[in-house]
Amino acid sequence: MFYSVLFPDSAAFSRQAQQENEPECFKDLNLGQVFEPIFKANKDFGLESLFYTPLQNTQVIAYRQDVMRELENDELRGMVAKFAKTVWSLGRRMDLTRKALASGRDGDNNYLAKGRMLDYAQRYCHAVSTLSGQLAGMTLRSEGLRGFSEYILSLCSSQRYKEFYSRVERLRGDFSAVEYCMLIKNGTIRVRKREGQPDLSEQIIKTFEKFRQGDVKDYRQNLPEESYAAHVEAAVLNMVAGLYRDTFADLNDFCKEYIRFDDETLFRFAREVQFYLSWLDYIRPLRAAGLPFQYPEISETPDDLYNREGFDIALAAFLLEKTVKNDFMLKKPEQIIVVTGPNQGGKTTFARAFGQTHYLASLGLCVPGREAKLYLFDHIFTHFSREEDISTLNGKLQDDLVRLRDLLSGASEKSIIIINEIFTSTTVNDAVTLGRYMMDALTALKAPAVIVTFLDEIANYGANTVSMMSMVEKDDLTQRTFKIVRKPPDGLAFAIYIAGKHGLTYELLSRRLKK
Amino acid sequence: MKVFLMFSDKNISAKGETYYAKDDLVADLELEPIISCMAQKDETIKTMCRAALFSPLKSADEIRYRQENLKDALQNPDAVRQLYDITVETEKKRKKAWLWLSSMYLSSTFSNAVDLVKLYTEMLRELRLVADRSLPGFRSDGFRRLLAMFQRELDDDYFQTVRSHLESLRDSKGMLISSKLGSHLQGVGYVLRRNDRKGFWTRWRFAPSYTIAPRDDAGATDLVRRCDRAINEATNALAQAAEHLEDFFAVLRGELAFYVGCLNLADQLRRLDMPVCMPELLPQSGSSRNWKELYDISLALTKNGKVVGNDLNTGDKRLYIITGANQGGKTTFLRSIGQAQLMAQCGMFVGAGSFAAPVRPLIFTHFKKEEDSAMKSGKLDEELLRMSRLADHLESGALMLFNESFAVTNEREGSEICRQITQALIENGVEVFSVTHLDVFAEAFLEDRRTQYLRAQRLENGERTFKIIPGEPLRTAYGEDLYRQIFATAK
Repeated sequence: MFYSVLFPDSAAFSRQAQQENEPECFKDLNLGQVFEPIFKANKDFGLESLFYTPLQNTQVIAYRQDVMRELENDELRGMVAKFAKTVWSLGRRMDLTRKALASGRDGDNNYLAKGRMLDYAQRYCHAVSTLSGQLAGMTLRSEGLRGFSEYILSLCSSQRYKEFYSRVERLRGDFSAVEYCMLIKNGTIRVRKREGQPDLSEQIIKTFEKFRQGDVKDYRQNLPEESYAAHVEAAVLNMVAGLYRDTFADLNDFCKEYIRFDDETLFRFAREVQFYLSWLDYIRPLRAAGLPFQYPEISETPDDLYNREGFDIALAAFLLEKTVKNDFMLKKPEQIIVVTGPNQGGKTTFARAFGQTHYLASLGLCVPGREAKLYLFDHIFTHFSREEDISTLNGKLQDDLVRLRDLLSGASEKSIIIINEIFTSTTVNDAVTLGRYMMDALTALKAPAVIVTFLDEIANYGANTVSMMSMVEKDDLTQRTFKIVRKPPDGLAFAIYIAGKHGLTYELLSRRLKK
Repeated sequence: MKVFLMFSDKNISAKGETYYAKDDLVADLELEPIISCMAQKDETIKTMCRAALFSPLKSADEIRYRQENLKDALQNPDAVRQLYDITVETEKKRKKAWLWLSSMYLSSTFSNAVDLVKLYTEMLRELRLVADRSLPGFRSDGFRRLLAMFQRELDDDYFQTVRSHLESLRDSKGMLISSKLGSHLQGVGYVLRRNDRKGFWTRWRFAPSYTIAPRDDAGATDLVRRCDRAINEATNALAQAAEHLEDFFAVLRGELAFYVGCLNLADQLRRLDMPVCMPELLPQSGSSRNWKELYDISLALTKNGKVVGNDLNTGDKRLYIITGANQGGKTTFLRSIGQAQLMAQCGMFVGAGSFAAPVRPLIFTHFKKEEDSAMKSGKLDEELLRMSRLADHLESGALMLFNESFAVTNEREGSEICRQITQALIENGVEVFSVTHLDVFAEAFLEDRRTQYLRAQRLENGERTFKIIPGEPLRTAYGEDLYRQIFATAK
């Protein structure tokens, strides 16, 4: 029996504890920035925990990869997306309405709540019947979607569902004929059926038109057609019910009989499938810009890891077709990639991409690159430079060291380590000494790591170290290619060229300030 | 009726000048704790104090006008706070009325507008009463002019005239509205109908009815909104009448807010036993700095206790290079200078025992930053881009504060970039304070007699005093000590 589109069975579903908080590595890897538009666009679904929970089971990852591959079909995705959005929001609202209707309080259990239930029921029937009709004609390959399709088809052909649908339509027709008038005076509202009185607003506008002098602030408001106090609206509706007795009695019966019309499994599907849809939506413009995505192989050992044409997905959202793609490879005994080279050459970006790709793969999503084998990790540890914060009353170097100590004591060989520009707030000699201590500790740990540094000494550390460099154009040293390639560190730097580019050499700046 | 407490001839704009790189300045100088101490959760004070801080005054006359008013406020704190409280109370009452009456802006009833005008009139009277009581205690031009104006313009005859105007407009007729049912049976498509036809009451008297309970505020508001929906189109008339009064109270509140903010900060610093003083501002061309016990106000507020201050006494300097051990108080020192200069420029007191410095109408900071999360460029590029944009706005007479800038490339290169920029700045009339670890840069100005070297003090036994004292750079930054200390405690 179909249960979840994210897990092969209900047992796997309940085994996986959902993380409610953003993993620590998000900020440094800019993953928060990647997922934020997804969370924002799907606020109602509460997708956060799904994206905060990396999987550590290759079977579940494969189940998800299959579903996602199938959802890449535009037609199918369109139908499912529309359905999911409607049913999820109806389900959540219906929960509230059910609570209201179960309550003994007039304030909650009234004709407005019943009216809402009628409205939701109508929209629900429409969504379910539409999708069921569409799926009936399709052949589905993935275990997850095939199971779902069988489920919804059998639901729609049930007798109970058919009766429910026709009842909804009949009630709706009856209510469209109702019209009434309110007389409001001294805190009292009286109600009668509509009579033939003329429109007073029109008359007042005509009367005062002649005083208009010119433009003044417009005090008219765009008022919502909703009552401010629901209990007043409900009281009015109660009086209207006394004027149209049969129609409202019908509504009462309907609400009693069909109070649990919505289906829990459909509801769960509606939220879960949004996990795939939101990701496919997010990467659509990137794909359109020619950036490759793939379903990577997941490896339980770190002996042979690689990705071809990977990229920083957060940066790609801005750069699109200008995004530079880079490869990496770690083949035993290689364990640590050390990236050096000119500044703003894409070193940090490269390190981020390494971490991002691993993280995304662990969720069962398609990831940047053409072909990859990635590590099934337990935790990603990052160490990026941080702004000084007065509340800690700590110096920058001390902060670096404390964070490094915490990182090393929390990590295992199943972890992934990314360290970006550490020890920059001290002298070069100090930094080299501290950098070597750090490399000793990482070697002992055995976990795959990426280190970005300006210290060539670290790139030459040992056999487990792969040196990579950010590259520049041959003809114009100020032009970065943003390519990161395997290459020994060459000690060249280009800082003063860049200063010139910004008009900040002594001569250029003096000229600017004289103006 | 003009307020004119911030300038002798104009109102201050709540928006403030468009101060370039304001956010960096706030973050780098840790201004937020200062501003929130001034504000004490009052948004108006916050806005106005920010506006004042980020509209540095250029002329000594303008600064003096405000300093005089502030001195007066410090002498008469109760009267100033009373005036301010009246403006707050006015706004509170107005807001409350707005909710209850469902707003004059929303509601169509004339009586709403009438009540609002009435409310403002009462509060004007309160202002007049404070003026009557406290005028004799004030000495400054700004406050004396304002209080005298209240007495002159708001006399008893004036209030009598207003009252007589307000006694006319009441509407007690019922309102008839037609409706249909919407998607969840709510009323939609309201139309206001005439209800004065013959036999109307005979038919309606015994119609089903619902009466709002006496304490049912939401229900009462609902009725008003319900009527609004029906008459939205027909009413727009009296609302503008109260607009002028509202604006006056807003201006008054805004300008008083600055002085109340200053009172709040002064009170808090007094509690912490930290000194404040009115700064002495020298001409812009000046190049001497002279202060005692200058401290980081923000740090004192954050620590909620006493902090170390620094003394300085220099003449004819244009570059200050600050070096020394990490955590030695260098950044704090830099902040204390920036805060004092910025506060002095808007007529405020400063956090020091005494303080004299040239007028610096423009203060920029360039502090080392976290990785740019917008990712448009690498770190050095980001720092240079930031510097370049500042250079677009820099002018002679500005004050520039660097904190470990350009240390993101290797030391030799960072030093060279930093040296070239600094040299260009000081030669073009920009005063520079630079905290740095770049040894090569730091040593480049040893021969320049207009450079003052300062250093974070470290005692023989390695202890840090957080004092900044005159002194040339020492080599090494004690990183290895720290490493051993931190990794030893891990075991």
